[in-house]
Amino acid sequence: MKTDQLIATLAADTRHERPLWPGVLIPLVPALAASALFLALGLGVREDFWQAIMVPVSTMRLVLSLTLGVLALRLGLALAQPGREVHARVSVVVLVPLLAVGLWLWAAFAGPAGGMSMAIQGKTMVDCLLFIPLLAILPTVALLLALRRGATLHPGRTAAAAGLAGGGFAAAIYALHCTEDSPLFYVTWYGTAILVVTLVSGMLGRRLLRW
Amino acid sequence: MPPQTDDWADLLEAASGGDARAYTRFLQTVTPVLRGVIRARGRGLGDGTCEDVVQEVLLAIHLKRHTWMAGTPVRPWLYAIARYKVVDAFRARGRRVELPIEDFAETLAADLGPDPTEAMDMGRMIGLLGGRAAEIVRKIGVEGASVAETGQALNMSEGAVRVALHRAFKELARLREGHLS
Repeated sequence: MKTDQLIATLAADTRHERPLWPGVLIPLVPALAASALFLALGLGVREDFWQAIMVPVSTMRLVLSLTLGVLALRLGLALAQPGREVHARVSVVVLVPLLAVGLWLWAAFAGPAGGMSMAIQGKTMVDCLLFIPLLAILPTVALLLALRRGATLHPGRTAAAAGLAGGGFAAAIYALHCTEDSPLFYVTWYGTAILVVTLVSGMLGRRLLRW
Repeated sequence: MPPQTDDWADLLEAASGGDARAYTRFLQTVTPVLRGVIRARGRGLGDGTCEDVVQEVLLAIHLKRHTWMAGTPVRPWLYAIARYKVVDAFRARGRRVELPIEDFAETLAADLGPDPTEAMDMGRMIGLLGGRAAEIVRKIGVEGASVAETGQALNMSEGAVRVALHRAFKELARLREGHLS
């Protein structure tokens, strides 16, 4: 086939494809809803939810996780579309863990002396490390599938961003159930869980997001 | 002579709106640039193989065109996609290339003549497509039929032809992936 012939054929395909944004919402929203439903029905929302949400240190979990999810999603979308601004989006994503570490240090020094290792360990570390990755599976897979329609030049990094977003959203959902309100606990273990999701997604995505 | 300034964005924007002629012009305009870069980097592969790579890149641009955002410059987007795909296509043929993005901008004026080269791979892949999809691609590409004519000949609605054509391109890209790399 000659190239001019190919061009004529390509030009006949005038179907309009949905852009990644807001197209990504089509798989992502149901995935998030399913994860949230699993939490509500399986684990249950914490009983003192409305009291806890008035306590800033407790609410920060939700705010930080959700912010991380949204910002990482924006980064993933930029990475999946060549020519988009990426550096600024990386910077704002990095800001979230920095803030979290700041919060951790503040809690470590402002909190009661002694008992710090107990506060880090908490009572539900295993649940946290188990359920956050579990809740992250659907949103992360949904994002990876959506980003396959993109044209990333860096499949691993883009998939890691998807994992970071999925992990962030999952942590925010899990925070509705979890009663550990100390930053020493949640920054440590939420952070670890999100990191695991990010790494696994990044590894999977190196193959999955190639095109 | 194809336009040298940023009418690329105008053409591509019109194309996104469904203007097939603007889209044809766009693809015809970028093809010599791609061909220039690919031949310069693929010396020794032969013109036929280079043309295979040109066609692969065109197919990739087509399938990823929704990742370009109207109102943004076309070139950084286009060159990034082309570079990724050229490196990929050469690697699939056992050749590693370094391909600075500047290559694309610099070969802009080179090698603009009509091209007589017949590429091989795409024809083979179309053969592998088989059935209706292959027939549609051949009718439009080789026989130069319009979508409407193709629909009449195959007893399909225009919409159905378009859907089948769109799927055929995705399938072609997938086939290429499986057969070369």
